[in-house]
Amino acid sequence: MLLALQGIQKRFGGVVALRRGDLAVQAGEVHLLLGENGAGKSTLMKITAGMQGFDAGAMLWKGRPVAFRNPAEAAVNGIAMVHQESLLAPHLSVAENIYLGREKRGPLGYVDRNRALKAARALIDEHRFPLQADWRVERLSPAGKQLVEICRAVAHGSSLLIFDEPTSSLPEHESAEVFRIVRALRDRGTGVIYITHRLEELRKLGDRVTVLRDGETVHTGPMGETTTARLIQHMVGREVAAIYQREARPPGEVLLRVRGLTRKPLLKDVSLTLRAGEIVGLAGLIGAGRTELCRTIFGVDAADSGTVEVAGRVIGGGSPREAVSAGLALIPEDRQRTGLAIGLPAGQNMTLASLRAVSSMGIIRKSQEQAVIQEQADRLHLKAGSARQIAGKLSGGNQQKVVISKWVIRLARVLLFDEPTRGIDIGAKTEVFRLMDELARSGTAILMVSSELPELLQVADRILVMRQGRITAELPGATTQEEILRHAALEA
Amino acid sequence: MIQRLLPFFTLILLFAALSIASPHFLTGTNLSSVIRQTAVINIMALGMTMIIIAGGIDLSVGAILAISGLLGCMAMEHGLPIVAGVVAGILVGMACGLMNGLLTTKLNINPFIVTLGTMGIIRGSALLISNGLPVHQLPKSFSYLGEGVLLGVPFVLWVLLLCGVVVHFLLEHTRMGRYSFAIGSNPDAAFYTGIPVAFHTTAVYAIGGMLTGLAGMIESSRLMTGQPTAGQGYELQAIAAVVIGGGSLRGGEGSVIGTLIGAFIMGLLANGSDLLGISPYLQQAIIGAVIILAVFLDEVRKRKLMA
Repeated sequence: MLLALQGIQKRFGGVVALRRGDLAVQAGEVHLLLGENGAGKSTLMKITAGMQGFDAGAMLWKGRPVAFRNPAEAAVNGIAMVHQESLLAPHLSVAENIYLGREKRGPLGYVDRNRALKAARALIDEHRFPLQADWRVERLSPAGKQLVEICRAVAHGSSLLIFDEPTSSLPEHESAEVFRIVRALRDRGTGVIYITHRLEELRKLGDRVTVLRDGETVHTGPMGETTTARLIQHMVGREVAAIYQREARPPGEVLLRVRGLTRKPLLKDVSLTLRAGEIVGLAGLIGAGRTELCRTIFGVDAADSGTVEVAGRVIGGGSPREAVSAGLALIPEDRQRTGLAIGLPAGQNMTLASLRAVSSMGIIRKSQEQAVIQEQADRLHLKAGSARQIAGKLSGGNQQKVVISKWVIRLARVLLFDEPTRGIDIGAKTEVFRLMDELARSGTAILMVSSELPELLQVADRILVMRQGRITAELPGATTQEEILRHAALEA
Repeated sequence: MIQRLLPFFTLILLFAALSIASPHFLTGTNLSSVIRQTAVINIMALGMTMIIIAGGIDLSVGAILAISGLLGCMAMEHGLPIVAGVVAGILVGMACGLMNGLLTTKLNINPFIVTLGTMGIIRGSALLISNGLPVHQLPKSFSYLGEGVLLGVPFVLWVLLLCGVVVHFLLEHTRMGRYSFAIGSNPDAAFYTGIPVAFHTTAVYAIGGMLTGLAGMIESSRLMTGQPTAGQGYELQAIAAVVIGGGSLRGGEGSVIGTLIGAFIMGLLANGSDLLGISPYLQQAIIGAVIILAVFLDEVRKRKLMA
């Protein structure tokens, strides 16, 4: 046995990320790790690769109990991780990246480029990587970059390779090349752990599979002995408490109409309509194009073709300004980076999109602004004083409420929520849902992107499913997780 | 909170220490001269405060000061009345700031690089226009701007106070000021909110240029010459004043009060060194050390905030 994780536990503050993580990987096998977002896959792998510690349980490496304190220690022991986002130095050559941190030295201690080039060439030839040692990394495709990372792991003599969703951003012919290399490494006795969301990839690659759900290992066994449908059941089998009760809302006029929206290579001919009073869910796997769709509708990215119509008026696109003045709003996935001016007080963030309404001749009427902020703070149950606090210091849930209230104050008519519950606690989630319901009830149209299928099923009136840049299905709100996953993951 | 007030206490402490250390410090003549010396940097620093709050930087202000002073003086030399000459200087400064703003926003180049380039362009233009020679033929009463006295204090103090009040009002009470903070704090979030980021960024550089143009006329008035070589190294002093006063080079933070305190701290350090006979060479080193110390203390405060 190469690696054995037994009953690993890990909590972050009050949140339990892993309850009981079990995983056993042998040399010479490709072991698939499955689970929904938040199931604990990434945490388990970060622990294995020394990027995080664990609170309880045991980790055995080649039969010896270990606890790596940092990634370097794990690397020395032969564990390497290939990341979703490339961690290479783009301006250096393939050879230089392969030996980064372990440069080939000449007799006087200087860095010997020729030795590095030679060694890299030998390695590339041996494994038949479609690379050249002297290529600059920045000019490689995402797949090429991953191959360089794999090359680096091989050069360092790694006996266990961890792939964190390596092919989610790759086109098919490129991922085939990655698969070929992975299989070749396996046949030479390397252990491989492979995290994926793409169910169609499973059959081609995996020898054994482990499924995590809510921080617990719920299934482990050979791939040949199970069906895709069973695996999906293992993944979604969780029960979610009813945190939100909804009553029917009659849909009104069409507020958002998107026709043939295309932005290569991520969006292909997307059309949809949103009506006043409707909450429409948008499901899909990572990389399916959901965030890109929101950004393009909102004008952050320009579309190659297609139109966006808000309340019957076509907007030009290309800048959020026009979208905002037409009544659109985007509550982005990454609050800290694109949602909030984190250095400003929460209250000032709330009125930022509506300063015109509380000022005259460019001068802000502070008492009027204060009244607006106070009214919103009361409505959102923000604690007294929160509005004066720096936005960056609020909890994730309160930050999200501040971003939402920015658009409520602005009286936006169409709200695009991108992963609105990411990183916030259950209480705040309930409140965000309640707020969405209230907004829909008052005639707002809402598009909600979420990777949390149970949440979508609870909140949405209809659910659109995206896969590889296209909308592949429109399902009623009363559908099932299995049905959504089928459209999101499988070839039509 | 204590650390936020640190520049203020430093100023008080410095003032008290110098009062004790030198009998010549607490005299009307000396304090007036401190104000006159500091006013030019101070007014430039007010503009720099707005620029830095909006997440920018302007390295060309020293050169802008020179070309505004030069062209304003040339206008007077050619017979324009004094007020018109001063206005001309201010407009030249505004034009330079506008250029910086447009280059930054339209070409989408880092303002550090843009203004490093325009620093050379503007300084070179000033030398070309004047052939490297200063302008001397100025009306006598022009000296009132820099050296005159009104109600018992230097006239420039009134000018400085007026500029301070205006910039404070712009920053704290207008939409433009609020947008400046938002853009500096997080340009992406400002863009996602629908704020016209490019317009406001450009406007802030233009206002900074106007203030620098005014500072250029004050400098000319004090020297009674329009010099193409004036203001060398002033950009660093202006930036230092903002930073010592709590402005953050990462944008989104800064205040008029802080900047004024920062500029006066540097003014007192220079004046005190003179009075105590400390070498001007050492003065430069001291001011450099103070800048690093101020930024370090500010970083410590922020790291605590984030933790």
